[in-house]
Amino acid sequence: MNTNERGIWEKIADQLRSRSLWMLHYCTGCGAIELPPSMTSRFDMERFGMGPMATPRQADILFITGYLSTKTLRRVIYTYELMPEPKYVIGFGSCTLNGGIYYDSYATINKLENYIPVDLYIAGCMPRPEALLNAFNELMRMIRNGEANGWRKYKENYEWYKQNQLRTLGEVFVHDEFHE
Amino acid sequence: MTNFMSNALEKLNNVVKKFEVTEIDEREVKIDLKPESVLPALSLLKSEGYYHLSLLSAVDWIDEGKFELVYILYSWNDGGKIIVSTKISRKNPEFVTVKHLWPVARYYERELFEFFGIKFEGNDDMKPLFLENWDDLPPLRKDFDPLEYSKKKFPDREYQKDVIHEAKIIRGDING
Amino acid sequence: MGEVKLFFGPNHPGMHGNFSVHMYVEGDTVVKARPLPGFLHRGFEKLMERRLWYQNLALIPRICVPEPDINEVVYALAVEKLANVEVPERAQWIRMIVLELARIAVHLMSMAGIGGPLGLYTGPYWGIADRDRILDIFENLSGARIYHMYIVPGGVRKDMTPKVQEMIVKFLDYLEGRLPEFENLIFKNRIVQTRLRGIALLDRETALEMGVTGIGLRATGVPYDIRKVDPYLYYDKVDFEVPTATEGDAFSRVYLKFREIPQSIKIIRQCLERMPEGKVNVPISEGNALRFRVPKGSVYVHVEASRGEYGYYVVSDGGEKPYRIVVRGASYPQTLYGIEKYLPGTRIEDVPIWLDTMGVCAPEVDR
Repeated sequence: MNTNERGIWEKIADQLRSRSLWMLHYCTGCGAIELPPSMTSRFDMERFGMGPMATPRQADILFITGYLSTKTLRRVIYTYELMPEPKYVIGFGSCTLNGGIYYDSYATINKLENYIPVDLYIAGCMPRPEALLNAFNELMRMIRNGEANGWRKYKENYEWYKQNQLRTLGEVFVHDEFHE
Repeated sequence: MTNFMSNALEKLNNVVKKFEVTEIDEREVKIDLKPESVLPALSLLKSEGYYHLSLLSAVDWIDEGKFELVYILYSWNDGGKIIVSTKISRKNPEFVTVKHLWPVARYYERELFEFFGIKFEGNDDMKPLFLENWDDLPPLRKDFDPLEYSKKKFPDREYQKDVIHEAKIIRGDING
Repeated sequence: MGEVKLFFGPNHPGMHGNFSVHMYVEGDTVVKARPLPGFLHRGFEKLMERRLWYQNLALIPRICVPEPDINEVVYALAVEKLANVEVPERAQWIRMIVLELARIAVHLMSMAGIGGPLGLYTGPYWGIADRDRILDIFENLSGARIYHMYIVPGGVRKDMTPKVQEMIVKFLDYLEGRLPEFENLIFKNRIVQTRLRGIALLDRETALEMGVTGIGLRATGVPYDIRKVDPYLYYDKVDFEVPTATEGDAFSRVYLKFREIPQSIKIIRQCLERMPEGKVNVPISEGNALRFRVPKGSVYVHVEASRGEYGYYVVSDGGEKPYRIVVRGASYPQTLYGIEKYLPGTRIEDVPIWLDTMGVCAPEVDR
């Protein structure tokens, strides 16, 4: 199936979607330190129609800020599957691209798109808030043109993604910390 | 060495028979003890004003076949640091807990069990703290290779070689 | 009423970073709590053993995200102590300026950021905007906003230009004018007063028993500051005070952060005044500067970070790479043992305030 085929209503909906994006405020790594400056008065991402959102149930964008340890990846997969469609993922920083400075670490993953589909990467360690805003603009353009199809890919290739997740994580399940 | 520190070390002489003192600088000494005299020495130093446990950790001396346990005590009175160190066998490593002296040591010991495999007698809370579903050697041991583990577990991105691009960089047409 | 199991974090807006607390609650009261660190575990202690002494410079600032400079200075001090290198005077003064600017930056973010869990959103907006001015100074000084890699073993990477000094002076003047506004906005605010006074209490005995350092300890009335007790760099040559409080509650801890900012300003002004001209770095050993070797030995170096005692235990076997480096995160005791011991008995809504005011910083605990 060609994922780029959209009906007229989908096209209109995508236009509207791209104008109001809610980003899940989940600080997965060190890139989270550049989020407050871009959210607050100096860089002010709200002027582009973006805002932070507290719960995954109402968020559109999952923002992976930097390296992901396997322990976090387990929660990220939970979070991603909680989010309603359409949903978009941005990988922030070199560590999501190829492991970056932690390429030989025993705890962090090297390539994010093996586990969840990524629509856009921002390279650098760490990228500046301007790069972040530029990426948001690019994502909006992609949504308008129907190019941000990660969530469709995840549905179609669910088996492949699950297999990769299980290979790295063993199990995708969160246990509690009490000794029971 | 400050007066406060030499007083404490003198008193330590009464409890522990023989120990080696290395003076690193004015406010920092390292003492090497036998494993059995560590616990009395620590409780004495704690009562002598060195009651802040800065750090508890281990060093893997793989060539000697030993683990070195390091207790760093700090005193707010003179700013002196005493590094108490002892060596235990690397095969089947076991030591006694100090959680009755410093409750926070429980977490340091839990961490050491996770990263080095050192068991602490008397501390039964040995659940993994930082890692989940760990399936290899304890990672901070010297014979564990993280790169190999990373290659096995986490697939890498494959890059294609762009010969024309590289040739352009070499010729100086574009900046690499 | 039965007990309910509650997973607090890591994906929660009230959570302080990527960290989690699992607890049993009965009604609104926490019955049992366990910390769950490790979401930011990258295995730094292992990675540092695999890299050259010089290569580690790129790695170490990433251990503690909000305040990277303390990592650089601890590492540099440890290497210099092992190699017995005398650092040029100008470099030491510049290091102190960088450290104090970083302290102001963290304090601005966390002091104003207390508005986040309380619903006073103007605070973070002001604090982070002012912090950005410090990041601009850092950018002019080192070329990067967050990870500077500026303080290297043997000195600093390059000299501080007169333009940067001018920027610092201008910023300090600006900040001094801003401080009364911050006091009015945050500390005289009714929300903050009623919400923070008398909660998250920590008394002196518990703090000392737990091994809490820094602001958490000073809020209980003891003036224990490593800059005074065990001076490093030139902290024994400058004149400053260590503010303390006696209440030991959340408000006094946040207010101490605010009261430390003028002291840091005072230190920076003295540094700028007393800084001599001259060289800013010396080589650690002869030969290739990128592959220097450090003599055999082990040393523990600690400094006063904005959250407490931050230290490295560095072991060298005389090779090109460190044999072992252990990181002592400043908030290790209160994050792990403190949560388990302290949280039972408090209410759920006070948990984020305890985490925030005790300076829980997940990346330095997890490493």
